[in-house]
Amino acid sequence: MRKWKKWAAVSLLTVMAAGCSPGGPDETSDAGADGESSGEGQTSIRFSWWGNDERHDLTQEMLDLFEEEHPDITVEAEFTGWDSYWERLTTQAAGSNLPAVVQMDNSKLTEYISNGLALDLNTMIEEGTINMEDVNDVYQDMLVVDGSTYAISGGSNGLATIYNQDLFEEYDINLEPGYTYEELGEEMARVSEAEGEGFWGYDFVKADYETFRHYARQFDQHFYNEDGTSVGFEAEVLEGFLTTVTTWIDEGVATPYDVTAEVNESGESMVANEEAAMASAASNGLVGVQTLAEADLGLNVMPSASDGEKSGNWVRPSMSFMISSNVSEAKQEAAAELIDFITNNQEANEILRAERGVPIAASVRESLAGQVDPTVQETFEFLEVLEERAGDPEPLPPPGESEVRAAFDRMLESVKYDEMLIEEGIDSFMQEADQILNQ
Amino acid sequence: MKTSEPLTEKEITPEFVEKERKRRNLRESLTGYAMISPWLIGFFGLIIGPMIYSFILSFTDYDMLSAPQWTGFSNYVELFTNDPRFIQSLQATFTFVVIAIPLKLAFSLFLALLFNTGRKGSGIFTTIYYVPSIIGGSVAISVVWRQMFGRDGAVNTMLDAWGLDTISFFGNSSAAMSILIILIVWQFGAPMIIFLAGLRQIPDDLYEAASVDGAGMIRKFIKVTIPMLTPIIFFNLVMETINGFMTFTQAFLITGGGPRDSTLFYAVYLYEVAFEFLNMGYASAMAWILLVIIGAFTLLIFKSSTFWVHYD
Repeated sequence: MRKWKKWAAVSLLTVMAAGCSPGGPDETSDAGADGESSGEGQTSIRFSWWGNDERHDLTQEMLDLFEEEHPDITVEAEFTGWDSYWERLTTQAAGSNLPAVVQMDNSKLTEYISNGLALDLNTMIEEGTINMEDVNDVYQDMLVVDGSTYAISGGSNGLATIYNQDLFEEYDINLEPGYTYEELGEEMARVSEAEGEGFWGYDFVKADYETFRHYARQFDQHFYNEDGTSVGFEAEVLEGFLTTVTTWIDEGVATPYDVTAEVNESGESMVANEEAAMASAASNGLVGVQTLAEADLGLNVMPSASDGEKSGNWVRPSMSFMISSNVSEAKQEAAAELIDFITNNQEANEILRAERGVPIAASVRESLAGQVDPTVQETFEFLEVLEERAGDPEPLPPPGESEVRAAFDRMLESVKYDEMLIEEGIDSFMQEADQILNQ
Repeated sequence: MKTSEPLTEKEITPEFVEKERKRRNLRESLTGYAMISPWLIGFFGLIIGPMIYSFILSFTDYDMLSAPQWTGFSNYVELFTNDPRFIQSLQATFTFVVIAIPLKLAFSLFLALLFNTGRKGSGIFTTIYYVPSIIGGSVAISVVWRQMFGRDGAVNTMLDAWGLDTISFFGNSSAAMSILIILIVWQFGAPMIIFLAGLRQIPDDLYEAASVDGAGMIRKFIKVTIPMLTPIIFFNLVMETINGFMTFTQAFLITGGGPRDSTLFYAVYLYEVAFEFLNMGYASAMAWILLVIIGAFTLLIFKSSTFWVHYD
């Protein structure tokens, strides 16, 4: 009897211990997947992305098509929402267990590159596994670091302004691309005065950080210096920008900070609510905002600084795909084929419907043109405008960007609430940024 | 095996009996440990292990993507000497705990008194009033709260209808703090139930004696109810204080720490540092400081209890 108890206890323990031990996903699942044990030439790769239900459905449908055309490759999908995505991905990175194809955000890519987790794709592009012949360089500029391509854009967008077309016609406002902050300020003052209380001309939509990056580029300066050890702009440039922003707010030309914050928080849009005439935006944002609005909305480039020397515009990937460097070569090859499929395959893109951003291959854009709805079509056209007007490539932000950005937003908040003078804000922010970037 | 064979008398010495008993005891306890092993494995693998790891990490610089780098006490030094947001998060958390917890306890005691009449139906009301406690910490309620106090939310619509000025709850520091306090106070259910149980324990003859001596309602409450209830108050105070320091979901989802960090609770800042800025070492150091702070407060309440808690 006692013996029985002992054995039962021991075996129970063993079972539980086995259940608890980290299953070494690399060894176990890879061995089978690499093709050593499960049929010849079969490669199984993991592909992870963040998104909403729509993206999950579309992507999985695209993957079905991919597997059909590449019977030797199976793709395991891993998808979640934005927040849990990064927690999960960093945990996988810490355990050297990254998926073969990883959907990446511009703000995070540098961290993966500098830790050697992103594969240099140049050879694959040269060999044609990933065919980039149909892609204008401006779509990829941001993802090339020191000559190495670390990711392929999964769709592009650009900084833009969204405006109420009906209202612009009513007030006879005509802002041709290249218009200046002064011109914009005058027109917006006119509208907000005529529309009265509860209406503001321009809404900065908490996108001041992006807007300022665009502003600084016109003075041939970037937000970060080349080594990513400090900010790369002069205090005067930021002062010029902040002065414009605060003056507009003080004069009622731009929405006060608390209103912007609340509208943003609740997922609304001032332009769609007809409480503002124009707002900063990412170009693909038009699709969402238009569904909330009754009026016809349009896209325009961002305003130019009148004393600027260069174009502030650049085309940026909404998101990109990198290949993890710590998976086997066979998997890297399969991953490259998947990325090529997403980039160039017409049918795949008909399924994906440009939901990740404007497709980077010209022929894909052309063939999709008649099929997508008019608003999406507008974002396509806008990118063509931007492609022409794009300035120097914008480098990827250094690791620590999210922290610097948070500090920038906090400084701006204090300045907008008049808790800090502009000069004080600039001083304290530049100090804080240096400290973060030198950690 | 041996035990099943008949033993000669010579073998059954007192030493043998003693030895045999020890062996049985050992076996018994081994079986016992094996039986509770699911819990033990969980405790060591999921709590003690990670705690030790986080303690080690708190002396390193770790971004999760590359190996941790030993930096000694620099995280701790940095926190106390060069991080205004850390100080701000401490201030916000203390303000919150000092206001919200006493309010919550007072409110739950008040309701417990109301429900302690023994009237018909008071049980149903107790149940209904307990509901916020179950759902109050959930994401759904936080989202509802945010809508309610939003610019076009229910509260502002009502203020507007009454001809009052609308309030920008998320743009104003004290308004933002207030709605979080209200939400926490609203989850009064758990302490209320415990108070109710405590109230029922107070013998009636104490009240009768007090009545005979001519004590009124208020006097009875101060002289009988409160003293008899101090062990319960003490328990609730400890539990709620600990929970208060760890408040996360509500602040993270409703105000996001804003405006201008005025509701940047400790746990919210910790999360930001760990998962948004990927400074795991720094965040681990913060977690250990939080543990020390909570420990210190609990100890303080325990020490002070000799002066105000009356057992019996």
